[in-house]
Amino acid sequence: MRGLRWLAKRELLRVTKLWTQTVLAPVISSSLFMIVFGLSLGDRIKQIEGFDYSVFIVPGLIAMAMVQAAYSNNSSSVFQARSDRYIDDVLSAPMHSWQMNLGFNIGGIVRALAIGVSMVALAIPLTGVPVEQPLVLVVAVALGLVLFGALGTVVGIFAETFDHHTFVANIVILPLAFVGGVFYSVDTLGSPWHELSHVNPVFYLVNAIRYGFLGTSDVAVTLCLAVTAGLAVPTYLWSQYLFSSGRKLKP
Amino acid sequence: MPSTPAERPAALEVRSLTKRYGDGTVALHDLDLTVRDGAFFGLLGPNGAGKTTLISAVCNLIRITSGDVLVFGDPAETLPARRAVGLAEQEINLDRFLTVEETLIYHGGWFGMAKAEATARAREMIAVFDLGAKCDVRTPRLSGGMRRRLLLARALMHRPRLVILDEPTAGVDFELRQELWRYIRRLHGEGTTILLTTHYLEEAEALCEEIALIRAGRLIARDSSAGLREHYHASSLADVYVKAMGTPAESQATR
Repeated sequence: MRGLRWLAKRELLRVTKLWTQTVLAPVISSSLFMIVFGLSLGDRIKQIEGFDYSVFIVPGLIAMAMVQAAYSNNSSSVFQARSDRYIDDVLSAPMHSWQMNLGFNIGGIVRALAIGVSMVALAIPLTGVPVEQPLVLVVAVALGLVLFGALGTVVGIFAETFDHHTFVANIVILPLAFVGGVFYSVDTLGSPWHELSHVNPVFYLVNAIRYGFLGTSDVAVTLCLAVTAGLAVPTYLWSQYLFSSGRKLKP
Repeated sequence: MPSTPAERPAALEVRSLTKRYGDGTVALHDLDLTVRDGAFFGLLGPNGAGKTTLISAVCNLIRITSGDVLVFGDPAETLPARRAVGLAEQEINLDRFLTVEETLIYHGGWFGMAKAEATARAREMIAVFDLGAKCDVRTPRLSGGMRRRLLLARALMHRPRLVILDEPTAGVDFELRQELWRYIRRLHGEGTTILLTTHYLEEAEALCEEIALIRAGRLIARDSSAGLREHYHASSLADVYVKAMGTPAESQATR
């Protein structure tokens, strides 16, 4: 287990050495969303599902920041390890493949948690957002981070250039997060946007996290958790398969 | 526990190893090779001969197509085999986020060393390879020579029984090369098996007890330096190399 501990520690070291980029920057940008959209424009928007707009958007903003961090941390770390070929030092080490997979995944998860905790610490005094269902919140965050952390690891393994990693972040994850009900309730959307929102996996994660904070969501929270788990488990197993088989990691 | 050299498992045993890459290139053809425990073994051949592929197969860095690779009797992919091997790759592959000391300590960590042990061993390696002045410097800021020293220090960090050096002195100045070989000789004297690839033939002749010539993924000759000279009627290993590489690989019988 020592190998796993040291690999996880190395991933955390990378996060802490670059803390202004890895933690501070996303906390500031998400806080700006909170201040500009919530506090400045919030007065002009009527309440959504019984909550002030400044409160309503907080769970989605936290979810968006966390999934982006979990994904981009792992994809860039694994891609750099492959690109610089320092990953050979890990692959040749006496570690089981599950330890390597978990070790590389931990960095993104911890980074995302650091961002999430910082944002909650800012959001509570700024907006007064409640935490109605802490257990649901913990489960939803855990599943979301496994899903997007493992997705980042998979993309880091497949990426041939740094553009591939940023393509998925900017062209897939960010748009899905924006249309996943971060800034609005999908119940306010007309057809077909309302129906289309239900095929967006981020929609379920945002709603599960919103339920954890506000105790309300657009669809049943059990469905939200089931969909997120249904995606998180195979994505993590995919990442595990790549380490077990050596596919794309070893020629 | 086997104790005599004849009873001990070979440091490296390669049986019918074939590696075909995804693009169809066959880098190794049904290759057999045994390196005895405690040997100083040289692997010579031109670029593209398959030396690095063979080393990668031993170090669990490629997926082999067929054959077996055993390290001290254990399949190369198993944890005991991986623990027994230390590799200094031909290309510099250092983690850009780590300092010199961290590079060594983290390597020790993922090879199973406890923090105190890894820290003490890292300091020892830093002293041996004269890296003290750069201890807290991150790897991208090191000179080429310092990076090469660090690669070697990292390969030896976990006290491997089989040390694989893939062209360790490429691009290294004369003084450092002498210094490195002094240390490697000492290590070999203490019982460590060394597998070396190099393009410096005089280096191989001076250091290696046994030499294998590899070309186009096939082992074409294997003997002591004197034995190879005699077989090829050559006055030096350089002459042996020229003669051996000038003959089609398929037509040569492995000695």
